[in-house]
Parts: sequence; structure tokens; C-alpha cells
Amino acid sequence: MKTEDLIDIFREDVPRSPSSIIHVWAVFWANLKIFLSYKTWVITETMSTVASIIMYSFMGLQVDAGRMALAGYEGVDWLSFALIGIATANYLWMCMSRISHSMQHEIREGTLEPIVSSPINMGSYIIGLSLRGFIVSCYFMLGTILIGVFILNAQLIVNLGTIMSFIVVLILMVISYVGIGVTAAGVILVYKKGDPLTFLFASITEFLGGVLFPLKYLEAYPPLWFIAWLMPYTYALDAARKVLLKGMIISHPSILLSLSVLIAYSLIFIPLGLKVFRWGYDRIRDEGTVASY
Amino acid sequence: MDIERLVEIMSERVPREKTPIHRIVAAFIVRDFKIWWTYKFWLALDISGIILLVATYYLFSMITSPRQVYEAGYVRGGYFTFALIGIAFQQYVFFAVQGINESIRDEQWNGTMETILSSAINFKVFLFSETCFFFIVSSALLFLSLFLGVLLGATFYTNPKSILSTVLLSILLIASHMMIGVMSAGVIMKTKQGDPLAWAFSWITQLLSGVFYPLKILPWYLEWIGKIFPLTYSLDGIRLCLQAGKDITSPEVLGDVINLIIFILLSAPLAFYIFKKGYDSARRDGSLGQY
Repeated sequence: MKTEDLIDIFREDVPRSPSSIIHVWAVFWANLKIFLSYKTWVITETMSTVASIIMYSFMGLQVDAGRMALAGYEGVDWLSFALIGIATANYLWMCMSRISHSMQHEIREGTLEPIVSSPINMGSYIIGLSLRGFIVSCYFMLGTILIGVFILNAQLIVNLGTIMSFIVVLILMVISYVGIGVTAAGVILVYKKGDPLTFLFASITEFLGGVLFPLKYLEAYPPLWFIAWLMPYTYALDAARKVLLKGMIISHPSILLSLSVLIAYSLIFIPLGLKVFRWGYDRIRDEGTVASY
Repeated sequence: MDIERLVEIMSERVPREKTPIHRIVAAFIVRDFKIWWTYKFWLALDISGIILLVATYYLFSMITSPRQVYEAGYVRGGYFTFALIGIAFQQYVFFAVQGINESIRDEQWNGTMETILSSAINFKVFLFSETCFFFIVSSALLFLSLFLGVLLGATFYTNPKSILSTVLLSILLIASHMMIGVMSAGVIMKTKQGDPLAWAFSWITQLLSGVFYPLKILPWYLEWIGKIFPLTYSLDGIRLCLQAGKDITSPEVLGDVINLIIFILLSAPLAFYIFKKGYDSARRDGSLGQY
């Protein structure tokens, strides 16, 4: 082999696509293919989701309808109430953890350096990862709701208005948390760990958001009650329940109020997250620790 | 260098002092504690996970009716105490089913498996010692759950007979689930992958063994399937002791104890057979230390 020829080939300037959309698509598609290659994981996660919904349906048989009514959910069965909580909490957790989890994975496997040194824009990389997270999370969330409604007979109000309103609530919920996910990714880039922190954050969010019990019962504990209403998830879950359990739509003042809070959180967290991520990204490049673990 | 002399020195049989088993076990416990203590964040995560779980079921108990729990014969403490016992004693299930697996996987992952096996330590003593620390951690988390539960208002019968019977049932719970753990370790040594046996077992028991609801709530066919699993008898016996003040002399608790002993006697030969097959096969392939 002639070395000169080889060098010439490497020197050749291959026209690359500068389109961010193609980059986003490439990252999304590559990650989706990796996800689909873990067939056992997909099967076991699907079965775990089904088993957990069945378990909650049995737990619901012990719930006193009177106590639900006292908390403002008159005529609402607990399974429907919990189903919305479980579906949205899992959706949020999977979306939020995807970016930080992928970062941790790339660092551990030693593939972050090739990504950073490739011409791909880091913003496109993050968006591609997030898209993959949204699609996979959608599969589990839709599965949860469909099993609940069609097999376990959960009483959700489903019409065009409520479906559209629910989708808007979901999108704003995820957007309000994207900033936190990106912040976690930025911290992981520098400190090489932090994935458990997002797990802890998700557990606290689930607990204080009132996934399994009406938040009214937290009123007896003012500090917890106060913290609960500081979290965007609480507003998102409250709005989602009002939509699917009470039939309210997006134009209802209380839903609009919740959505406004979510938009406000998005406006605060996204720039903050991007700033932290940029700081982490620049720092590891300055220090030359992109490949270290 | 005199190579012959070197070979001679290396071939010399050094008389080893036989280390007593309790010292080996203590050494493993100290080693595992030191490793565990360096991961303080995981420690905080374990503790906060328990706190959040107990708190969630405390708040959930506020919207439940204790009727089904009373009808099942657990007359003291209501739903919160019922769920608390399920949450707390599940720690022993995780320990017994996953303890051996995780020990083997950790050594494989860290690349220390072959080093340990080529040392003078006996493999059974190694496995036993590895699981001891898991047991201590599980017990600590179990007591933490119960303590938090008591702070939040859970009540138990605490007469000596009930407590002793609970201890006996806990031992049987661990022994019966250890059989599943041994089977699963046998599979994992060969396959090197997440074990579907332990995964399926943990989900099915959680669903059908009455961790969060009395078994009577289930349709009759699921109730019958639930009776195959040792956790059903363990939790029923423990709840009868702690929530109904019964002890081993009561026919219901004695029935649970006998069922657990039968399960252990039937599953032990199968578990050890599967483990031996997996272990021998991995040694033959030379893949015991591989991840």
C-alpha cells in the first residue's frame, strides 16, 4: 500500500452536510437502533409496566371512595387517578434521565471524545438524544394508559378536546424539565457522575407530586406542601388530572394557570441548563478531560 | 539468575495456616463495608429511597379503608402497618434473591473473580462471606423502615413469643428465597446476562404474594398461584405475629412455617443442581471471571 495515497484519501475534503436537522436525525436514529437492539430490555420493561399497572389496580380495591371525595375527587376511581400519575411520572423520568444517562454512558464507554471531536454540533446531539427519549417514553406512557383504559376499565374522559389538551400539558411538562436534564448532563460532563442525583430528584418529584395520593393530604405538612407546589410536575399532574378526570380543556382558567406556570419554569430552566452545559462542555475541552472517567 | 533455583523456590510447598471461617467472613465484611462507605452517595440514595417509599405508603394509607386488612385477620395497625411490613421484609427478599448474583457480578465486573478463586479460599466460604455484608445492610434498611413506620404511627404486637416467631419466619423467608438466588446465580454464571429468572420472580411475587394488599383481594385463580411462592407464607406469618399477636403455636402461623420448610426442602436440590451445572460449565469454558 502506498502511504502517500492513503494520506491523500484522508486529506480529501468530503463534503459534509451542515444541516442540523440531518445531525439531529442521525443521532436520533442511531440511538433508536441501539435501543431496539436491547430486545430483552424492551420486553422486560414492557412486562414490568404491565405488571405494575395490574398491581396498582389491585391496590385500588382498598381505596375508600369517600376519602377520595374529601380530597376533591368525587366520583373518581383511584385507578384512573393513579394511572395518570404513573403514566406522566414515568414519562417525565424517562425523558429527563435520557440526556444525563446517555452522557454517563458515553463517558464510561469512552465514546464521548469521538463525538466531541466530530463535526456534529453538541446542540444537535442533545436534541437527537432527547427526541429518542421522548419517542421511547411515549411507547411506555401510551401502553400504560391503553392497558388502564381498555383492560382495567379506568374511567378517563377521552375526546378530541381532552386529548389535545393532555398533549399540550405533556409537552409543556417535558419542556419545563428539559433545562434540569441538560443541567444534569453538564454536571456529569465535568464530575463524571451524577446520574443517581437525577434518580433521587425523580423519586422526590414523584412523592411530592402526589402520584399515588391526592395532594390535599400533604396539607397537614406545610413544608412538604410548600415544596410540592414549587415543582413544575405538580402543576402538570394537576392539569393532566383535571383534563382526563374532569373533562376540562386547555381554555379552562385553572388549566391555563398551570400551563402559565410551566411556561415560566421553562423560561427559567432552559437558559440556565444551556449555560451549565456550555460551562461543562468548555471546561472538559479546556482541561483535556473529555475522555477521562 | 539461577532459574532452576527460582523454580525450586516457587515449587516449594509453603505450609499455610488454616484461617478460621469466622475470620474470613469478618475480613469480607470489613472489606465490603470499606467499599460501601466510599460510595456515600449510594448510601444516601438507599436511605432516601426507603424514606420516600414509607412516606408514600403512609399518605396512601390515608385514603384506604382498613376493612380488607382486618378481614384477612391482621387486626392491629390498619393498612399502613400492613404495607410497612411488606416494604420492610422485602429487603430480605432482595438480599436473598440478588445477594449471590450481585456478589458474583461485582467480582466479574471488577476483574477480581479469578484472583479470588485462585487464592486458597473455598468457593462456598467465599459466597457465604460475600452475602454476609448484604445481609447486614438489608437488616439495617429493614429496621430503618420499621423505625420510620413507628414514627409515623404504625403499631405492632411486641410480645416475646410474637417477636421470636417473626425472627423464625424471617430466617425461613431468607432460606427459601436463597434457593431462588442460588438458582439464579447458576444461570448468571453461564449466561453473564441479566437474569430473567430473578426478574420474573421478583415481579410475580410482588404482584401475587400480598406485599401491598391482602391475598383475598385477588381473583381465586391468582390467589392460588400466589400460594406457590414462599413470600406469601412468610408475609402472612409475620403479619399474623406482628398484627394479630399470634405466634408459632397458632395453627395458622404453624401452617405458614410448615409450607416454607416444604418449599425449602423441595427447591434446595434443584437450586444446588442448577448452581453446580452453571459453575462447572463456566469453569470448563474458562469464563468464570469474564463479564
